[in-house]
Amino acid sequence: MADAISVIQPPTVEIAPRQKKPRGEVIVFGNWCKGCGLCVEFCPTGVLALDEADHPVVVKPENCTGCHWCDTHCPDMAIVVRRIE
Amino acid sequence: MAEHILDAHELDVDEIRIPRENWFESSETLQKLRKNKKFPTIWCAGCGNGIVMGSLIRAIEHLGLSNDEVALVSGIGCAGRMPVYMDFNTLHTNHGRALAFATGLKIARPDMKVIAIMGDGDALAIGGNHFIHAARRNIGITSIVINNAIYGMTGGQYSPTTPIGKQATTAPYGNIEPSFPLCELAIAAGATYVARSTVYHVLELDKYIEAAIRKDGFSLVEAVSYCHTTYGRLNKFGTAPEMMRDLKKNSISKAAYEKLSAKRQAGNSKIVRGVLHVNDEREEFTKLCRKLTEQAQGGGRQ
Amino acid sequence: MAVSLMQGNEAIGWGALAAGCRFFAGYPITPSTEIAEMLSRELPKVGGTFIQMEDEIASMAAIIGASVGGLKAMTATSGPGFSLMQENLGYAAMTEVPCVIVNVQRLGPSTGRATAGSQGDVMQARWGTHGDHPIIAISPTSVRQSFDLTIKAFNLSEQYRTPVILLTEAIIGHMREPVDLPEFETLEVVERVVTSSPDEYVPFSNEMGDVPPLAGFGQGYRYHITGLFHDQMGFPTQRLDEINPWLERVNNKLNNHLDEIVMVEEDIQEDATVAIVAYGASARSARHALKVARSQGHRASMLTLLTIWPFPEVQVEKLGERVERVIVPEMNLGQLALEVERMVGRRKVVRVNRADGEMVTPQMILDAIEG
Repeated sequence: MADAISVIQPPTVEIAPRQKKPRGEVIVFGNWCKGCGLCVEFCPTGVLALDEADHPVVVKPENCTGCHWCDTHCPDMAIVVRRIE
Repeated sequence: MAEHILDAHELDVDEIRIPRENWFESSETLQKLRKNKKFPTIWCAGCGNGIVMGSLIRAIEHLGLSNDEVALVSGIGCAGRMPVYMDFNTLHTNHGRALAFATGLKIARPDMKVIAIMGDGDALAIGGNHFIHAARRNIGITSIVINNAIYGMTGGQYSPTTPIGKQATTAPYGNIEPSFPLCELAIAAGATYVARSTVYHVLELDKYIEAAIRKDGFSLVEAVSYCHTTYGRLNKFGTAPEMMRDLKKNSISKAAYEKLSAKRQAGNSKIVRGVLHVNDEREEFTKLCRKLTEQAQGGGRQ
Repeated sequence: MAVSLMQGNEAIGWGALAAGCRFFAGYPITPSTEIAEMLSRELPKVGGTFIQMEDEIASMAAIIGASVGGLKAMTATSGPGFSLMQENLGYAAMTEVPCVIVNVQRLGPSTGRATAGSQGDVMQARWGTHGDHPIIAISPTSVRQSFDLTIKAFNLSEQYRTPVILLTEAIIGHMREPVDLPEFETLEVVERVVTSSPDEYVPFSNEMGDVPPLAGFGQGYRYHITGLFHDQMGFPTQRLDEINPWLERVNNKLNNHLDEIVMVEEDIQEDATVAIVAYGASARSARHALKVARSQGHRASMLTLLTIWPFPEVQVEKLGERVERVIVPEMNLGQLALEVERMVGRRKVVRVNRADGEMVTPQMILDAIEG
């Protein structure tokens, strides 16, 4: 590997990032979900709703604050929330 | 995102499904599940047992324990079916006898973290004798009692924690037997860490289970749960979400409880959540056994 | 070791230590308590652990737990406790976890006569726990044999991954005889060996012969044990294509090795017309009766059963073909006699029974020989 040539980087200007609201990405795994409704009932920001088969679907992904209520309470671990920056 | 309801993968990896590793690394809860066991679990939709399992896994993750040093021992009942789903040394024993089996295992392998998982009937009715003696000995076993106040597996008979007056398939005229205060029972018998929370307050459970495992001695975590399939239906408590909401409504933190006046404390019917007892003086039983062998091998007094 | 005057129960304790037992869980009960007392003193000296559990159910559970943890484990009890142990004994049979249960029988049923001997638990040893299951039960006839058969019990339990019952009683348990125990190092002791690596390990394999090796917990083998019907990995199953192979293997793993499991002592006279089939304390009376009968000119043979279960069918049937009458003395109202009758035909068997707590006397057997 050729030795890295050093490139003088322009000084980065520290700008205070606007205090962005934490965001999460919700993934529901149909095979494991038994449709108990807990996640839909207790999601504080209405991210989820029941489809016609009583299975949760993500209807408002932008509302997810990554609070993890759903994936820590899902009895079947059929839901995973990943923080997104 | 709505339309991307992903086909959950079967845990035994096969190509058309999503292999576990790439999707689940973000969730601690899933790391300790068994690779070669079929999911989903056998529990009813919405049952609190799965929530306790997630909490137990997160507690073990946070403690950084290796899978080899953990042994789960369970009795018979819905709670008894939990260990099989996790990638530890798992022993599914007889109804009520988890703590007796676990005592032998802990003595044989004092270096292992031995965790007993029981239901309320399992631990306090048929298992009551072993419960108080394991606590009396202060043997290094973490016992998790999932208290849903009913025998769920067998269809809804009343248990030692079913409240008076409530319906069960064997209490058609309303239960007339008072309940066991299992935390006070464990404290009185000698347990050196006792905490209680509910499956609604699962992050509290995570904390208490982690502390209970770390504690060197007999520790009890009472995880108050619900059974909407039998107990809930017989007493018209509604669905799993409704019974979950009741847990939130009918519980109070220990700190808040202690602020109540003596009179209101006496009249309190809410579940008190918190660390109820810690004793750091008592030595753990297998350590006493080792001292005894050292004494015997050193030609000590018989 | 030097000759010493030793109690039967104590010899059982030494046998356990010689066999490598390092865990005992028990509960006080006459006439077996001396075993617990002896081991509470000797086990710690060899780095083992003694624990007095809250009852016999817990004692049986604890020895299975310790065995799963990698220790050779034993409990000792008598009738009432043995009855309490049945469910967990069945669990050990279902999960194929080695362990040894000593039953120092006393006169039952119920409280009965605690200090009086009996052979009344023979059928309970076979069928005490519910469901079809394999079991080994062996019975000593002397203090020295109590030592030897305890070691044999551990070796058989490890070899066949099964609970083994040492069926003795108050007489041999409490009596003393001079014994010269061998040096422990000279004894043949079976140890657990696991050959496959953790990720290939199949704890209940039907493809590794009759008895797959048992890996202890905490050694990297992280597998599941359950009392439910299970597949080869130990996971619960309802599938018949997984249940039947298990039934086939587990319920034949002893039948395929009777040559190593069934132990008898034969004292055959070629032209004998009568034979005695006896075990345990009753064999002592029978041996005396045999000597007297022969001195009086009777042609008589004797078969002493050291293995009670699996029943020694071949040996008893062969004996039956050579004589007209088979005398079966027992300190019960006829239990193993049923098995003898099954093998030699009911008409040939002369039962000599006593269930009041006293031994069947040589004279009772002699009367039967003279018939």
